[in-house]
Amino acid sequence: MLKLMKLEMRKFRIGSYIRAAIIANVLILALICLIGLNEEVTDGTMPFTSYDMAFSVIDTLVRGTYIVFASVLISRIVIDEFRNKSITVLFMYPINRKKLIVAKLLVVVLFTLVADIAANLFVGVGFGILNLFESVVTEPFTWSIAVKSLLSVVMGALATSFMSLIPLYFGMRKHSGAATIVSSLIVVAIVCQNNDGFSLYDIIAIPIGLTLLGAAVAYMSIRNIEHVDVLK
Amino acid sequence: MTYIVRTKQLTRAYRGKEVVSNVNMNISQGEIYGMLGPNGAGKTTVMKMITNLVKPTAGEIEIFGETLTDKSYRLLGRMGTIIENPIFYDKLTARENLELHCEYMGYHNKKSIDEALELVNLKGIDKKAVKEFSLGMKQRLGIARAITTKPELLILDEPINGLDPLGIKELRDLFKMLCKQYGITILISSHILGEIELIADTIAVMNDGKLLQEVSMDYIAKETAEYIEITTNESSKAAFVLENHLHISNVRVIDEGQIRIYDCRIPQSELMKALVLHDVAIEAVHKKKGTLEDYFLSILNGGGVVA
Repeated sequence: MLKLMKLEMRKFRIGSYIRAAIIANVLILALICLIGLNEEVTDGTMPFTSYDMAFSVIDTLVRGTYIVFASVLISRIVIDEFRNKSITVLFMYPINRKKLIVAKLLVVVLFTLVADIAANLFVGVGFGILNLFESVVTEPFTWSIAVKSLLSVVMGALATSFMSLIPLYFGMRKHSGAATIVSSLIVVAIVCQNNDGFSLYDIIAIPIGLTLLGAAVAYMSIRNIEHVDVLK
Repeated sequence: MTYIVRTKQLTRAYRGKEVVSNVNMNISQGEIYGMLGPNGAGKTTVMKMITNLVKPTAGEIEIFGETLTDKSYRLLGRMGTIIENPIFYDKLTARENLELHCEYMGYHNKKSIDEALELVNLKGIDKKAVKEFSLGMKQRLGIARAITTKPELLILDEPINGLDPLGIKELRDLFKMLCKQYGITILISSHILGEIELIADTIAVMNDGKLLQEVSMDYIAKETAEYIEITTNESSKAAFVLENHLHISNVRVIDEGQIRIYDCRIPQSELMKALVLHDVAIEAVHKKKGTLEDYFLSILNGGGVVA
């Protein structure tokens, strides 16, 4: 399986996506800095009153970015293979079709997981450094905040990586990359909005439900793959 | 005789319409098996079923003595294929594509890539991205990909599409060489008669999803007998003379200017003499051998199709 994943990454030149992810992280950090430095938001309150709040905003931005990012990956690694019919080449290899598809999805899930955590750490640390100079957040940074944030980042990243598979369902219906990316934006709209401190994501059933839905989509895509025609 | 591929009552229907119906093919080891048929005859579908890309509605396929099932992945490793247009990962170079192919096939002889590229004359441009290739070059690369892993069975669907005449000849020689030297069994399809005729040992004629006939070339050579073709302006008069004075019953008037005599017992000189004596102007006389085309058309016509 590891070898199949390596081959996938070679085939789609994963390097360019890593570069894109780094650029995205720098942009998120820049955005956070801008928000943080803009001390007086219209009604005079501080933009970030606590680390908790700052990290939650960072997490939301990162999540939104990487759900869309994952949908781009899905569209390249999975959907394009079907659209270009190169899947017929792939399915003529003496390798279990399920394994081939699972390898592709694992690349997407692991990439999203790692990138989500890395981005949170990168932007979080960046924000911390900014705070040393500008003291945007005045409360002291304690170990308990660090551990709590880290835990929530890891859990969130796990959920995000599975959620990011939901667009696969819409993309596979007509083998359309555009549908994949648009549906990812809808997922982002559901989980990453924030209305005066209230987010749908805070209702625990919603992230859990979407995570399960993502896993179900992945399962559905491989369940029958051995018994069906490849492109009629 | 060992059969590499056998199909039994192979049928595939799309929405109730059979595109392949009750096909029984027998491909022996070490032969070049040509599938001949007009576009839409079901050739590609049969090939897709053999490679497991399309599942049969009914019937079964036996490859290398094993029945093909959904899980027959191991069998796929012993085949090399091009089906429809050769498809590659366009952004990668020719060599990268072949390297990936070898990795997936579990074949680790690095030299084989060079050998294959050399065989199809693509050496030197293997560092170019495939998206810059012409159709003919892609076709060659597809063949290179199919043969790098030295498969036991080579499945080639219209492999000469997009090639120039010289390229066609090169590949024809290549296929023959692969068959003779490496003992590779080749299943090749085409709608170009002349091509199949030059290369195949056995021919299967398909039309409308049905296998009309499966015959060896040796048999066709015997079947397609010699005939004499006479070009004249007065074909009906000539036919009259031949039938009534020389008592040849096997005369066919092809069109206004041509007649064919399938009875070759009477020497040409005698024919000419009789015709000249009866004042029939002759423009040309040729002794010809029936071509595969004639045979093919007769089968198609026999199958109730107007060619």
